[in-house]
Parts: sequence; structure tokens; C-alpha cells
Amino acid sequence: MIEFNNVTRNFAHKVAVDGLTLKVPPGELFALLGPNGAGKTTTIKMLTGLLRPTAGNVRVRGYDLASDVRRATHAIGYVPEEPFLYDKLSGREFLEFAAEMRGLDRSTVNDRIRRECRYFELDDFIDDLTETYSHGMKQRLVFASAMLHDPPVLVIDEPMVGLDPRSVRMVKDRLRKLAAVGTIIFMSTHTLAIAEEIAQRIGIMDRGRLHFLGTVGQLQSELASSHTSLEPLFLELTAGNNGRPRKGMDCKLKIE
Amino acid sequence: MNSHYTIMHPPVPSPTPLPDFLSPQLEARAFGRARNRILATLLRQTFAHSRFRITLVVVLASLLWGGMFWMFADGFWFLESTITQPDTHALAVGGVFGAFFAALMLMLVFSSGIILYGSLFRSREITFLLTIPARTERVFLHKLQEAIVLSSWGFVLLGSPILLAYGMVSAAPWYYYALLLPFIVAFVYIPVSIGAIICLFVVHRVPDNRLTVLVGGLVLLVVGGAWIAWGLLTGPKNDLLTPDWFQEIIGRLRFSDYRLLPSWWLSTGLLDAASGAWSESILFFSLMISNALFFRQLALWQAGRTYRTAYSGLYGKTMRRKRLRPMRFDRLLSWLLGPLPATMRLMTIKDLRLFRRDPLQWSQFLIFTGFLMIYFFHIPRFTYGVSSIAWVNMVSFLNLSVVGLLLSTFTTRFVYPMISLEGRRFWMLGLLGVPRRTILWGKFYFAAAGSIIPCSGLVLVSDLMLGVSNLIVLSHQLTCLMLCLGLAGIAVGLGAWLPNFRYESPSRIAAGFGGTLTLVVSTLYILIVVLLTALPTHFYLVAKYANLSGDVPGQTGVQWWLGFWLAAGTAASLILGAITTLVPLRIGSRALQRMEF
Repeated sequence: MIEFNNVTRNFAHKVAVDGLTLKVPPGELFALLGPNGAGKTTTIKMLTGLLRPTAGNVRVRGYDLASDVRRATHAIGYVPEEPFLYDKLSGREFLEFAAEMRGLDRSTVNDRIRRECRYFELDDFIDDLTETYSHGMKQRLVFASAMLHDPPVLVIDEPMVGLDPRSVRMVKDRLRKLAAVGTIIFMSTHTLAIAEEIAQRIGIMDRGRLHFLGTVGQLQSELASSHTSLEPLFLELTAGNNGRPRKGMDCKLKIE
Repeated sequence: MNSHYTIMHPPVPSPTPLPDFLSPQLEARAFGRARNRILATLLRQTFAHSRFRITLVVVLASLLWGGMFWMFADGFWFLESTITQPDTHALAVGGVFGAFFAALMLMLVFSSGIILYGSLFRSREITFLLTIPARTERVFLHKLQEAIVLSSWGFVLLGSPILLAYGMVSAAPWYYYALLLPFIVAFVYIPVSIGAIICLFVVHRVPDNRLTVLVGGLVLLVVGGAWIAWGLLTGPKNDLLTPDWFQEIIGRLRFSDYRLLPSWWLSTGLLDAASGAWSESILFFSLMISNALFFRQLALWQAGRTYRTAYSGLYGKTMRRKRLRPMRFDRLLSWLLGPLPATMRLMTIKDLRLFRRDPLQWSQFLIFTGFLMIYFFHIPRFTYGVSSIAWVNMVSFLNLSVVGLLLSTFTTRFVYPMISLEGRRFWMLGLLGVPRRTILWGKFYFAAAGSIIPCSGLVLVSDLMLGVSNLIVLSHQLTCLMLCLGLAGIAVGLGAWLPNFRYESPSRIAAGFGGTLTLVVSTLYILIVVLLTALPTHFYLVAKYANLSGDVPGQTGVQWWLGFWLAAGTAASLILGAITTLVPLRIGSRALQRMEF
């Protein structure tokens, strides 16, 4: 379970995340949407232990990201929007380092690397230095490194940026399968079509506040709109207010 | 509107058990293995693709090291032969060692603090390391060790010739040499750990004022250094190198003679080892090791408690948006550059804006300028009351060479990377329809104009301080003009011919093959141009002086030949200057025309 309990994060005089309360249970594929500067990246950075909340707390599997960051991050696989790779390591060496740091033993490391190479089709370049990779190759390698230890929580910031259509398909299938076996997928994206296609629930944030939480169908009935796809609904929700959610729009889903 | 919905979730399979955490030893090994692999790849790549560069670096470093070793060995021989009293001699060497290590310690505290700020709070790697379940202390230690290596290579390069020269001159026993490296490593650990503690404290406690602390520290360092240097340089000018003079200078070096300073333990421990007092030396070594471990543990403890909080706290500060308005300086510059074509004017203003807004760029610029200023402030010292024309002439040409060499480091570091940096923005420039030649010539004018005014000014001031003749002043101004144009032409031309689009950092671009070649070609150019003008002028003036004194009769023919040589040397330097300016620019322009972005 991922839990945001009344989380606020300030940057000087700006409130980046304002009283966020959200629970994502095991097996759910959750997509966080919102315009630029909405607070999505700050939310993800707090979820991965990089930033600490000014108020409230974030928990992963019951571990507080502020006081027990090591146990919490042990349970997380993280795919950032701009992945970092060591230029002077090969893809395999990078995966070995990531797997070792997760506590996997030698034989398991090799098995898992083989598994991920097969899945993400890394074999052609896995032994090349990562400085020679294209953005898509880097992204696939980072997906592989995030999944090596079979994390119960997968956090992804803009999952499809730089991926070719085949890789997009690969990733979508993998995320669905992982969610089906109980992994929590928490992703932030601007690609509404992806969110609509694979997310079970979406959250729409703006100026640090969560303005909508529910399914696309629920958003449609909430807006009493004739549109059925997410894009026009999102635009409708954010229309007429300089790209910001309409005043008074604040609908949330209670998880039971 | 506030609605609540309920959804059904699929049944959840039992979670896969996660592996246990790595033990501290295995964690250290994993970090160590990754670092060793990176180092091995770097070395392999360097030896495979950068042989010229590595050879050049090794040759230049060896020359520098050898020169320093020779200079210090000569100095220690001189001290030994001049100060015959053993106590005074020991005091003099102890004073020199103590002052040197104390200054180095202060610089290490400062530089390691800055290095660690960059690697612990601003690097992309750290955003990866903080999201994996590594111990915070391990991540910190990983970066601390990097800072120690980065900080101590300069120490080894600067300190080893002094220490080895002293060992040789004082006929030190073998254990003096055996203890050198352990002493240095233990010593470096202390200031680097202190720098780390200060860095963590500042970011954790006063993140909003970190720049003020940095500037304050810099000012303290500069003022302190200037105060000490002033104290030494304003020493007695008469009775130089007499026992009284030595006593006076030793007295002025007492500032480093505090028993609680690690620099004092280092200098005393090494001097004891050199004099055969091995038990005292081991005592100081133990003291050093125990303090190094203490400060390392203190830094680790502080990192465990505050590093993640400090990182999180700083994040918002570095994300703050900056609202920028056109400055008066830009408007003034725009007016001054009015006669230039609009595209060239706009590009020059853009380059200056980018430079001004990058603290790394202008801070390095200021450091270079500081060195230049220190050198020129001390020019009057070079005269030492000597009125020989030959000596004054030599010093004046030495000044010209120094200006040229420093200018070449400026052009290599700041001008050479300009085209490479433009490559990343070329999509915009390309679409503007600006001819590529204009971009190249714009950079050249910018570099040449920016260097002519300060360099000519400095050379003129140094000539006036030395009181050289008008002929020399004129010759220097002409040579200086040639140097500025030629060095700008080399840097811009080679920058376009051998660009490096892989890196965003100008210092990394300048450190590559093209940058190294630029520096080498520039150095050769300076040497040739200065020699072409310096030698004929020198002999011409010496002959003229001798003739005026009536010492050498019947020298009209020789005078004529020397005058001809002077004119020919000046003409040759003008021709060489024109070739060195235009040929690289032409090569660069062609390369830029052909370049695909």
C-alpha cells in the first residue's frame, strides 16, 4: 500500500503539494495527471525518498519515507523521467550494480538480468557502454533495472517518453501483468491515452492539490459530459481557467 | 462538488519476499566494484583514443614536477649552505614547511567543501543513489572518497617535489620516504572531512545563505592570503639573505606554528623522520591517523543525521524561478556594439549574458584574473634596485610572455568551447538564417576585443613600472596586439575545426583533445612571437647602451645589423601573427560550413 497522509511540501513561499491524501492499494495501476507545475514530480520525489514532506507523511508498505527511507525504497523500483546511467559502465554492469544494491545474490542477479534482457530486448547492446545508448535504449535499461528485484511498488515518471511503439507496447503489457500479480504501479504522465488505456484510476492534480480521483467513467459522469475518452474530459476539466481545473471542481474517490 | 465512489480491486496475490539488505561490507564492495569498473574503462579509453593528450599531459606534468624539484632542491642546498647554525636551519625549514602545509590545509578545506557541495547536492548521480536502498553514510562516504582523490592529486603534484627534494638534500633515511605517502593521505583526510562537515552544516542549517557563506569564505581566504603575503614581501629589503634577515622571515612564518594544527604535525613529523628521530615521527603519524579517523567518523555521523534532510531542504531553493530583466550593462553594450551587424551584435550580447549567468564560468575567470593581478602587483619587486638595461628588458619581455600565457589559458578555457556549446543550440541559429561565417567571426571579434584592452593595459602598466624605453613600449604594444589576435584566431578556428558536442560543460570541452591542442599551439605561438621581438630588441639595446657608454668603439656596422634584425624580427612576428590569426579561422570556417548538426 502507498499512503500519502495529508502531505504538504513547500518550496520557500510556494506550496508545491498541498494536503495530499491518497492511498493506492496493491494490484492497482494508478496514473497521476495534471498540467505543468501541478506538483506531480514533487509527489513522486517524495514517494521515492528524495524529498521530505513539510507536513504529513508518505508511507510505502507501512514504512515512513522520512524515518525509514531504506526499508521503503527497498520495496520500490523507480523509473525517473530523466534516467541517470553511469556513462562508463556497460548496461550489464549497471544492472549488476543495481541488483547487488538490492541484495540479490550472484546467481539470482544473473538469472534476473537474463530475464529482463529477454523481456526488454536488451541483448544487442547490453555489453556496450551506456554512453553510446539512444534515449529509448536508456529508458528500456532503466525499466529493466527497476524490475530486477521484483519490487512490490513501481514508481514511474513519464513512462513512455523516448520509447518506440514496440517498446511502448512492451512496457504497457509488462505493467498490466505486474499489476495483475499485485504490484502497485504509480505513474505520472502527460500522455492521456496511456493513462486511459492502462490505469485503473487517475488522479488530476493542479497547483499542488488533487482535484479529481477516480475512474475515467466517474470523471465523465462527474462532468456530465458527452465525451467518453480522457483527453476531451481532461481538457473540459481544465478549460476556461487558463488550463487550470474549473473552480469548485473537487471530486475524490474513497477507497474501501 | 465532492463525491465519493467505491471500486472493486482484483484479489491481491501474496507479495514476493524482498531480499535482505546488503551488509555494510558487501555494500562497500559493490560501490568499490562499480568505481573500479568506471576507472578501468576511463583508463582504457584514454590510452586507446587520447594518446596524444595523455603524452602531452605526462610530459608537461613531468617538466613541471622536474622544474619544481630542481628549484626546491636548489633552495634547500642554498639554505643549508647559508644557514650553518643547525637550530636556525631547522627553524627555517620548519617555518617553510609549516606555512606551506597550513596554506594547503586551508585550501583543501575550501576546495573539498565546494567539490562536495557539487557532488552531494547538485549531481545527477546522487538522485539515483538516494533512491536505491544504500545506507546514507555509504553514499556520503562514496562521495567523500572521490573528493579526497580530487583534492589530493594537486597536493601530490605540488608537495612531492618539495618533500623529495628535502629528503635528498638532508640525506634522509629510508623511512622518511616510506612515511611520505601515509602521512599525506592521513593529512588530506582531515581538511577534506572538515570541508565536508562545513558543507553539510551550511546546507542543512543556512541553505538560503550558502552563497553568502561561500563568498565570505573566499574573501577571508583571499584577505588572509594577501595579509600573509604582504607580511612576507614587505620584509627587510636590505641585508638580504643574512642571518638577521632569515630570523625576521622565520618570525613572520610563525603564524603556522600552532601545535594544534595538523599541518604542524605533518611538518614536524616529516622533519623528525628526515633527521632520524623515527620514534617522534611515528608519534606524530599516530596522532595524524587518529585525528583523520576521528574527523572521518564525525563527518559520517553528521551525514547520517542530516544529509537527506539537507538535500530535501535545498531542493526547493535550487528550483526557484529567476525573473530576469534587461540590465543597463546589456543596453550599454548594445549601444557600444551599434556599428556591428545586428546578428553579430545580438550574438555577442547573448554570449556575454550566458557567461555572466554561469557562476562556474566567471568564478574561474576571476581566479585567473586574480593570479594575473598578484603577478603584476609584484613587478616592482623584480627590479630589486637593479638598473641594468638587460635585466629590465628581460623582465619586461617576461611580463609580456606571462600575459600571453595567461591569455592562452583564458582563450583555451573560455573561447575554444564557444562553437562546441553553440552546436547544441544550432537548431535555433540554423533556422535564423545567420551565415555560419558570421557566427565564427562574431566569436573572433568578441574574443579579440575582449582580450586586447586588458592585456595591452597590463603590459603598458608593467612597462611604466619598470621604466623601459619608448621603443620597448611600442614593441610590446605591437606584440601584444599580435598575441591577442593570434590567440583568439587559434581558439575560435580550432574550436570550429575540432568541436566537441558531447559535453555541456565548457571545462570538459576544453579538457579534450581540441582544447589541449589549442593550448599547445597557443604556447608555441607565444614563444615564437615573443622571441622574434625580444631577442633583437635585447641585443639592440645592449649594443646601444654599450656604445653610448663609449665602451665598444666602431660598432656602427653592428648597430645597423642589429637595427635591421630588430625590424626583420618585428616584421616576421607581424607576418606570423597574420598567418596564425587567419589560417585557423579559415580552416574553422570551412569546417563549420561542412558541419552537420
